[in-house]
Amino acid sequence: MSGRQHVLQGRGCAAGQFEGEVVVSRQSFGFWQGLDPQTGVVIDKRHDLCGAMIKGKAFAFPYGRGSTGTPGIFLEAVRNGCAPAAIINVKSEPMIIMCALLAEAFFKVAIPIVDGLDVPAQEALRTGDRVRIDGATGRIEILARA
Amino acid sequence: MYLTDAEKRILDGESGEPQRLALRVLAKLGEACGAERMVEIVSAHLVASSYQIAGEAGIDIYSQLVQQGAKVKVRTTSDPGSIVFARWQEFRTPADYAARQVKIAELLDQMGVIPTWTCTPYTTFNVPRFGDHLGWSESSAVVFVNSVIGARTNRLAAYVDLCAALTGRVPCFGLHLPENRRGQVVFELASDLATDFADHYFPALGYLVGQIVGDQVPVIMGLRHATFDQLKAFGAASAASGSVALYHMVGITPEARTLEEACGGKPPGERIPVGKRELANVMEQMGAFTDGPVDVVGIGCPHASIDQMRRYASLLDGKRVHPNTQLWVCTNVVVEEMARKMGYVETIERAGAKLMVGTCHNDCPLGAWNFRRLVTDSGKFAYYTPTTVGTQCVFASTEACIQAAITGKAERS
Repeated sequence: MSGRQHVLQGRGCAAGQFEGEVVVSRQSFGFWQGLDPQTGVVIDKRHDLCGAMIKGKAFAFPYGRGSTGTPGIFLEAVRNGCAPAAIINVKSEPMIIMCALLAEAFFKVAIPIVDGLDVPAQEALRTGDRVRIDGATGRIEILARA
Repeated sequence: MYLTDAEKRILDGESGEPQRLALRVLAKLGEACGAERMVEIVSAHLVASSYQIAGEAGIDIYSQLVQQGAKVKVRTTSDPGSIVFARWQEFRTPADYAARQVKIAELLDQMGVIPTWTCTPYTTFNVPRFGDHLGWSESSAVVFVNSVIGARTNRLAAYVDLCAALTGRVPCFGLHLPENRRGQVVFELASDLATDFADHYFPALGYLVGQIVGDQVPVIMGLRHATFDQLKAFGAASAASGSVALYHMVGITPEARTLEEACGGKPPGERIPVGKRELANVMEQMGAFTDGPVDVVGIGCPHASIDQMRRYASLLDGKRVHPNTQLWVCTNVVVEEMARKMGYVETIERAGAKLMVGTCHNDCPLGAWNFRRLVTDSGKFAYYTPTTVGTQCVFASTEACIQAAITGKAERS
């Protein structure tokens, strides 16, 4: 990875602060039937992260695949403390933004969402990197490499 | 985003906490999606009516809102639940699970939701008109009311639909605006296909279209005729394999009297041809026939109409479902009552089939049955049941589904 930037700039889609580890996927993801809300583990057998724990992490995936039931699973995970704590997309669809808005409204949990980074997360970040995310400004600071 | 004085007062809490919270969610959604203002809606429809979708988080949310005195402001209906309310034991639903669904029913009732428990509310108590703005979820219902009726709704997420119901508003973006309703991808049926278009080709074509267009607006050319139920089956399949929320069929749906009208001007130069081979390929993907026993047959997805109930009754009249096979017909309580009066229910039940009223194979926990093989005429079931029910799926015409239930086998005829 040449030109390793320490700061990535995107669009802030949902406000909130995050500091911690990132999990990076190259595949689109659907929370409905993709995440086990009791454990925070990816259960979609067709997904490259199947078996990975995304609970409490910043979850980077390019696009969402959204059934209208998506917030059902997402908020169940939030309620159980098993949801990702931040989301980074190439493009965030309304369905995923709605999940963060609902988590904030009904469970007082802020999950920052950033999309449209100047360098896509799939190139700029690796699983295990530590980052600081500001969901209001869309700024991601890389604190430490894995 | 522009907010009216009345909306600002709601955000200040003048209309109570539920409305304040709900409008705040909608305003933030509108800002994230580039809406310039809110639009008032005629009705709402709620997908998180089932315990399978809502879960304990949903019960928390609804309980909180009910405690704060939440009431829906517009006509609002419920999607299928996760149990057959009157006879859940017959479907081997665990008692504690059934109790949680009953709890959701009580909470929705306290907010003033009409307990339709159906994915086809547009046939009974929630019938939109052309041009109406709505706040609906349930992908198969959204695509129907947008495409076949010409009403306007985005695919709302679970609970955002309730925010719309509580405030009577949604942010005005996406399919609420005419410029986003224009057809983007044109499909043209081969002429030999168009003249001989079988009933089960509708869900197959929907499945194929959804796979190709994702969330874009498809236009279908070449169909001469389609019934209400065929349009319902087509849309449900396209909204499952893709995220289609609006389609146009030239000469059939109301915003597509011509190809130009469907595309809002000059149509795209490229047209995707669809012939018998393309349809055969997609039907293989949806669930190819393989010899062997059938555990369960699912028809009535989306929920069966009275016309479909009449058809099932005539196909089952004097027949007997195989003792090792379950034939479950999904419908809502309104159609059930009418079908009972017409004698269809008696014929269907005498043959050994069961009515799955107010839910379906997808929404109901079926782990206790250990089903391995399901046969269906629904494109939506074909897409979801391999995960929701955990079965291998065979896609077939309605006649072949009922034949499979009678013989207990899926065989190419």
